[in-house]
Order: sequence, then structure tokens, then C-alpha cells
Amino acid sequence: MKYDNTYAKLSVFGRQLLNKKSLTEGLPHISKYVKDVIGAQRCSIFINDNVKDELWTTIADGVDKIIIPRDKGIVGQTLKEKKPILVEDVSKNPHFLSNIDKETGYKTKNILTAPIFNSQRMIIGILEVLNKEDGFDNEDVKFMIFFAHYISGFLELANIYSQQDEG
Amino acid sequence: MRGDTEMGKSTQIAEFGKKLMAMGKVDNALELISKEAKELLRAQRCSIFIVDEQDEILWTKLSDGIGRIVISLDSGIAGETYKQKAPQIVNDPYKNKHFLKSIDQKSGFVTKNIITTPIYSSRRDIIGVIQLLNKSRGEFDEKDLEDLAFFANYISGTLELILMQQ
Repeated sequence: MKYDNTYAKLSVFGRQLLNKKSLTEGLPHISKYVKDVIGAQRCSIFINDNVKDELWTTIADGVDKIIIPRDKGIVGQTLKEKKPILVEDVSKNPHFLSNIDKETGYKTKNILTAPIFNSQRMIIGILEVLNKEDGFDNEDVKFMIFFAHYISGFLELANIYSQQDEG
Repeated sequence: MRGDTEMGKSTQIAEFGKKLMAMGKVDNALELISKEAKELLRAQRCSIFIVDEQDEILWTKLSDGIGRIVISLDSGIAGETYKQKAPQIVNDPYKNKHFLKSIDQKSGFVTKNIITTPIYSSRRDIIGVIQLLNKSRGEFDEKDLEDLAFFANYISGTLELILMQQ
């Protein structure tokens, strides 16, 4: 199994993550790790904002905050179906938001997502990886499900922090 | 997460999380989780039951000094938690038909109230049940349940990883 070694070393990543005190610090750390482990070109973590009714993400590669309506895109579809989505060819998927590619100048080929649940079983975020050279496979999906669950405690705890900061 | 010590508590949980991730063995992890849960919920005892579906049992290594407890998957308040896939609050255990008096009799401990919640894997299977006994003041309530649900989810990823590697 190609992820055996990853699982064995995952706690090292986990401890680094728990040193990050906020989402702003933690999210890039998660993105970079997932990208490297899965072998995808990009990774975004979309945060589900119930109040503003939107999904937002910041991309480490310098593009500003991306905001999309909660019912749009593969990410919105993930939120709706409450399960991972693998899109092998985005050009054939009606939900794919091609205008984001146009805005960023990036060419998306394939996508894999997984919802991140909190302890109340609400979706607090969506993990998304883009462009794996040979395409995503079932092992990648399994890892994404496991990993989304693994980091959910950090995200929920970080949410408690940020609510305190704002309140 | 209560009142003005919120920030301190969150930091404490993160510190606990780091320690937990460093645990290689299930037994050590369960001990650490129990200790933290007791502090968080201010309860006298804590057991984490691990689900063994193959042998249809729930087992726990640590109930603070009374050794390993093995119960069948459908017995006790822990078994009820597994069966119903739902948290349980029992504030009058001796009047509850699911409560296992025999464990109290064996350990000499007197259970006054109980709170439990399932621990889920990433695939949404129940891998364990966390159970706390005897709140230091009053009875367990909805707020305790919320805290415990958060805590169970917080530890679940690490526990899943540890169990995978046994």
C-alpha cells in the first residue's frame, strides 16, 4: 500500500499542526502537506461560512482569497452530497467553475475533494486537491477521507479560537 | 468550553493533542485520553472502551486501577451507546436496566452518574465509546455532552491511526 509509510509518520505532521495557533497559520501547513503526500499540484481548504453563506479559501501561491457560493463548483457539490468527489476530467463536469481558472490563469485537469466534519457532524470545510499527473485513484480517496477526519479536531478547535478573537 | 478560561482550555487541549499523537501504544494513549477527559468534564473516572466487532466485545484497559474490563458489545451503558449510535446520560444508574452493577461490586466504586459518547472513525464506524463517571458537582447535562462530543471527535483521528497500527 503506497500510503503505509505516510500513516506511520502522520503523527509528526499532526504535532506540527497543533503548534499552529490559528487557521491562518494552520491552513497553509495542511495544504502543503496534502499536496506533497498525494502528489497533486495544488491544494485548497475551503472554509464553510454558514453566516455569510459562502465557501472561502486562501491559496498559498499568492492568489487572493477565493470566495464561491455554497452551491457552486465541485466544492459546492461536495457540500451538498456530503461525500468525497473525484473528477477525472473537469472539462466534462457541469459543476466545474471554469471562471476561477480564467481568473487565476491556472489550468485545472482533475480534482479530488473530501468534506471535513465537526463533532456535530456539520461540514466545516472541504479539502480539495488539483492536478495529479496520472490521475487520482482509490487509495488517494481513502487517504483524503482519513486525513480530513484527522485534521477536523484542529479545525474545530481553531474555530473556537477565532470566534473568541472576533467576539 | 466554559467561561473566561476558554483560551487557556483551548491551548491545553492542543498541548494534550500533541502528547497524544506521540503515543505509539493504545494503552498509553487511552491512559492519556482518560486523564484529559476527566479534567475537562470534571468527572471522577473515565474509561475508553474499544470496539472489537470480530469478537463482539468492548474492552478497556484502564478504569483507574481495576484492570482490564471486557463486556459484550451490547451490554452496559457503553454497549447501549454502541447499539443506539448515540450518546447517553444516565443520572440514576441503579435504576437503569442497562447499567452493569457487577462492575461496581467488583471494584468497590459507587457509580452515581454516567455520560458516554461514541468515537467514530473516518469511515463513520464506531471504534470506541468514551465513558465518564461521577461528575464532581451535580449531574451531567447537555453542555457536558457538547464538550464530550467535541473531545471525542478531537481524539478520534489519532485513536484511529493508533488502532490501525496495532
